[in-house]
Amino acid sequence: MKKILGQGLVVVGLFLGTWWLLSKIEWVSIFRIEKISREAKKKLGALMLEVFQQDSKEIKDSFATRTLDSVVNRICMANGIDRTTINVHLLASKDINAFALPDGHLVVYGGLIADAKNPVELAGVIAHELAHIQLNHVTQKLVKEIGISALLTLTTGSGNGTAIRELARTLSATAFDRALETEADKVGVEYLQKAKIDPVPLADFLLRMSERQNDILEYFTWVSTHPDAEERAKEIKAYCKSNPAKYDPVLSDTAWLMLQDLTSLIPE
Amino acid sequence: MSLHKQFAYSPHEMEAETASNSYLMSLIAIIVGLPLPIINLIATLIFFLNNRKGTYFVRWHCTQALLSQLTLVPLNSIGFWWTFSVLFTDRVATNEYFAYLLTVFVFNLLELIATIYTAIQTRKGLHVEWWFHGPLTHKLCKEAV
Repeated sequence: MKKILGQGLVVVGLFLGTWWLLSKIEWVSIFRIEKISREAKKKLGALMLEVFQQDSKEIKDSFATRTLDSVVNRICMANGIDRTTINVHLLASKDINAFALPDGHLVVYGGLIADAKNPVELAGVIAHELAHIQLNHVTQKLVKEIGISALLTLTTGSGNGTAIRELARTLSATAFDRALETEADKVGVEYLQKAKIDPVPLADFLLRMSERQNDILEYFTWVSTHPDAEERAKEIKAYCKSNPAKYDPVLSDTAWLMLQDLTSLIPE
Repeated sequence: MSLHKQFAYSPHEMEAETASNSYLMSLIAIIVGLPLPIINLIATLIFFLNNRKGTYFVRWHCTQALLSQLTLVPLNSIGFWWTFSVLFTDRVATNEYFAYLLTVFVFNLLELIATIYTAIQTRKGLHVEWWFHGPLTHKLCKEAV
């Protein structure tokens, strides 16, 4: 009997060992993600951005863009993210939303800035979206939505306008799956802590949004695309409690108020 | 993975053929092209039940063939349902998923090679005991009916 058990354990060990060793290989990159070339992502990102720029005017005010850039720069620099790969766009829309597009485009709506209680909440949402970009979640979601071959056809062909528009809507108005959101939460919180930004206001923002979800849903896009907000807020708070750190302010009160004024005054 | 060993007696030509067929049953299921992982098990199980009153050599090899399929079924089923959930639910294909599929494929391939080899050897009347499955078969399959 000992011989059987011993041999059985060897078989199980061999199976688990082979699985573990093979899982160290980046299959996701080899099979799927790398197939979408850099150029294809660039084209797709530009096409999708165009869709949103047609709907909402891009805010070009130098103070507003510089202030927003300073938040993004701080998170990027503290986390070794190549800032040149991130393109921030501030759009004049009342939607409370921010989302990532292919090729490192990060779209922030004026409605989000106007609704945030403080700049730390805004930084929290930005860090979360940066995590989606850095973790390649955008491409993963697109591949899952329409499949790799359709995605390649879209980007290599003449560009099907309707399909691109639909896909862009999917990225801005539907959620990543829970596993990807949890991963982006975790990495986003780490980004914030390294940048000496308190992650708790992100949790507060999630909580506040989930409480208001039952009210008028019209403009609360970010929270509707980020499900289980209450539970995730709790997870963020628990993480911060067990990993205390020192934090610095994100923006001066004056700069924050000016940014809020600018984004809320500009018409859609 | 498999070892030639001396059996309790020299099997008759007919016994060797039936014993060899027990391994071929799982191969036939693959050839038929049925993708459900349970099919191979059902094929060997039916053959095992049909021959449970056969000679010791036949019963022994039917049992070993059945045990080999029983080992693979949970592994293949996990792979099957994992793939199903990746294709039809929100689950994402991860490095662990691809690694699992490849590992299961390697184990299935090894089992296939061993099955073909054992089918040929038993057809010649030679006794082949597999690593782990051989000693386990000895525990389950006794000479007296």
